Amino acid sequence: MNRIKTMNRRRFLHTTAAASAAAFAMPGLARAEGYPESSISVIIPTAEGGGADRNFRAFTSVWKEILGTEFEPSFYPGASGRVGYELYMGKSEPNAYNLLFGNIGPEVLNWAMQAPTFDINDYIYFGQVDKDPCCLFVGANSPLKTIDDIIAEGKKRKLNVGTSRMAHPASIGLLALGEETGAQFNLIPLQGGKGTVAGAVTGEVDFSVLTSGSVIAAGDSVKTLLVFGNNIVGEALDDAPSINDAYGMDLPEMLSTRAFGIHKKAVDDYPDRFEILTRTFKETHEDPRLMEAYIASKGQPEYLVYAGIEECEAEKAAMMELGARYKALLSGA
Amino acid sequence: MGDTAAILLEVFLETISFWYIIVPTIFLGLVVGGIPGFSAANTIIILMPLTLAMSLQGGLIFMVALYCSARMGAGIPAILVNIPGTAGAAATPLDGYPMAKQGKGQQALSISFVASSLGGLLTTIIALAAMPILARVGFYMHSTEMIVVMLFGISLIASIAAQDMVKGLIAGFLGLMIGSIGTDVVYATPRGTFGFLELYDGVPLIPALVGLFAVSEAFIIIEKKVIVTHDGDVKAPSWNATLEGVQIALKRWWHIVWTSLIGLVIGVIPGAGASIASFVAYQQSRSFSKTPELYGTGHPEGLIAPESANNGVTSGTLVPLLVLGIPGGATAAIMLVVMQYHGVSFGPSLFDTQPKVGYGMFMAMAVSYILMIFTILPLSRYMSHVTTIPTIYLAPMIISFTLVGAFVPREYMFDLYLALAFGVLGYIARRTGYHVAAILIGVILGPLLEKYFLWSLKKSDGDIMVLFSSTLGNILWLCLLLSLVLPAIFAFQRKRKSLGVVAE
Repeated sequence: MNRIKTMNRRRFLHTTAAASAAAFAMPGLARAEGYPESSISVIIPTAEGGGADRNFRAFTSVWKEILGTEFEPSFYPGASGRVGYELYMGKSEPNAYNLLFGNIGPEVLNWAMQAPTFDINDYIYFGQVDKDPCCLFVGANSPLKTIDDIIAEGKKRKLNVGTSRMAHPASIGLLALGEETGAQFNLIPLQGGKGTVAGAVTGEVDFSVLTSGSVIAAGDSVKTLLVFGNNIVGEALDDAPSINDAYGMDLPEMLSTRAFGIHKKAVDDYPDRFEILTRTFKETHEDPRLMEAYIASKGQPEYLVYAGIEECEAEKAAMMELGARYKALLSGA
Repeated sequence: MGDTAAILLEVFLETISFWYIIVPTIFLGLVVGGIPGFSAANTIIILMPLTLAMSLQGGLIFMVALYCSARMGAGIPAILVNIPGTAGAAATPLDGYPMAKQGKGQQALSISFVASSLGGLLTTIIALAAMPILARVGFYMHSTEMIVVMLFGISLIASIAAQDMVKGLIAGFLGLMIGSIGTDVVYATPRGTFGFLELYDGVPLIPALVGLFAVSEAFIIIEKKVIVTHDGDVKAPSWNATLEGVQIALKRWWHIVWTSLIGLVIGVIPGAGASIASFVAYQQSRSFSKTPELYGTGHPEGLIAPESANNGVTSGTLVPLLVLGIPGGATAAIMLVVMQYHGVSFGPSLFDTQPKVGYGMFMAMAVSYILMIFTILPLSRYMSHVTTIPTIYLAPMIISFTLVGAFVPREYMFDLYLALAFGVLGYIARRTGYHVAAILIGVILGPLLEKYFLWSLKKSDGDIMVLFSSTLGNILWLCLLLSLVLPAIFAFQRKRKSLGVVAE
């Protein structure tokens, strides 16, 4: 039996309606009185000091003011983020005092590679903090100066390409590029954004692919040559073209979407608390202080875009589909 | 050149004026470095709101001072009670603790403080002067070359095994096997986890460290009245012992210089760290010593090497951060986040756009090391009292403090049980003559070796000859071979010479 089913629009609406009805119909059910009464723990399935850490701190610096409580992060980067998710689902109380701050693209792809011990619909992403397309970049001193150089060289020899982890939207973007152009690429998982940037800069690999937010934060040590989506930040990504424009392709955007998640059970059992979370989350996005904090943390203003449950769930479904398509290449099967 | 000198002088004077931040931070660093599980990185994270509220310069000086002093602090319990505060100090007890047991704890602390401060100060100055060159080291040291560097450290198992080859090798291989637990670095496939989610990240280092060293040590010392052995000369602490330690260290200034340089070079390689550097420095120090047989018995050079090297790493990790925008280690990564909040962009343009920040970090490090000599050295007299505390009090304190330390990094009860399990393993190993350091070397360096090995194989499509594909790598292979063979040849020559003298 395939336990990994994504939540479609209809199912989501049913769940939300049922949860709301239950809140009104069951007076004994826990209500949000005084919520939040204590700080909120957040599991982050990546290492401290990386892009997720930066985004989390920027966002919660404003959200905590609106919600009136502190957010306490814990970082569990192991096994491509699986440890963080398994811990969240297995050991955190589903009471809306425990949240998850994940990256939908790469982390949902994990489930396509290897089934988790829980049903993927047992948690939902309820709010997107930001969204940035993945990109292809070289170190500032790389002999490969253009995307044409890369394709030409990739037809002569198999190029080693750094990626944060095998199951990553950026890896899929690269494999699609290889399929389209005939260039040969060999993915090397360099364990996180910092390692992936370092790999390209120091020449450990020929070039790397990664989420563009982390690439921009790396500054002038790197140069972006291609974007696996739309380049909405222009010069910040060295005016690199999108893969679809450059090669006449129709590839869906390969995105890194940082979003807060929550146990489905918490949504069902504490609908009022969940309502407060989603409402204040949206208010945070509307607060001008967020943009200041986001820019201060080296975020690109264009990437700071609000999205709710429905959009997040749609992306989850899209990633599952892509994962299934490229499973053999990403899992070494 | 004149401009740079002026900036350096200005930054130096400004940094000195922040002494009221540096001095308390040094003491904070000693505490967090000394307790396993706490470190400069997680302390900076905890105190991040404070750091962000400070001025840019104040925050930067605070973080750098904490980083340096925590590194030094990790050596204190390693020497006094055989418990390295961090993995970077794991080689320190090899000779530090035997000194403490001989009643030379105060002397050992002095040696460690001088070696750490001078090693750190020297490498800071060198890093400042040679930053562009050092930043290039990472461009040549790739996974293939790093395999050989790892083997330098791992070959220490063979040195330890020299006393009892079979037991030493069994302990080393056991460590390597334990180190291979967890998910693989390429496809994240779990191996040897026995279904425990807590082992997916591999065996956590702090519980292993706490168990193998601290818990097993507590079990051992409880069988005695005090740590100092009956043969040990239990002297009342005096300033003379501190000065003796300083003299011993200063007499071996050249040893401090070259072992701290090993730390600096390893520190500038992104992803490499203090644990690698300290084991490599110890192994090299022993290999080229005229008295290798004294290592492990309380030999000052065996203490100087890891302490100089792990402080050399501290300045080394700043180089890729400042020049390339790539943090060399976990603490540097946290610093990057904090400094970005202050609007600082690290990378090649830093020294053009904000030269005072770039130079300021090194200057903060240099000033911290200078102040540490004067503030910490006198404390050795009082710290050494630990070795005379009756073990009925000391052992429970060690177990409780270190178990808290085992719990702190991940906050799993599992890690407490794991530390106790390693404690039992360590106790059995010690009682049956297996060296716990050999196990720990495998646990620490094994996963790193595997990572670099798998990356190299992946890059070459599985061609094993990739190990000999680079010029630098081949030079390192040759050095490794020489460092293993030459000591044996030297020892043979010395033996022949001494036999000749006796015969005459």
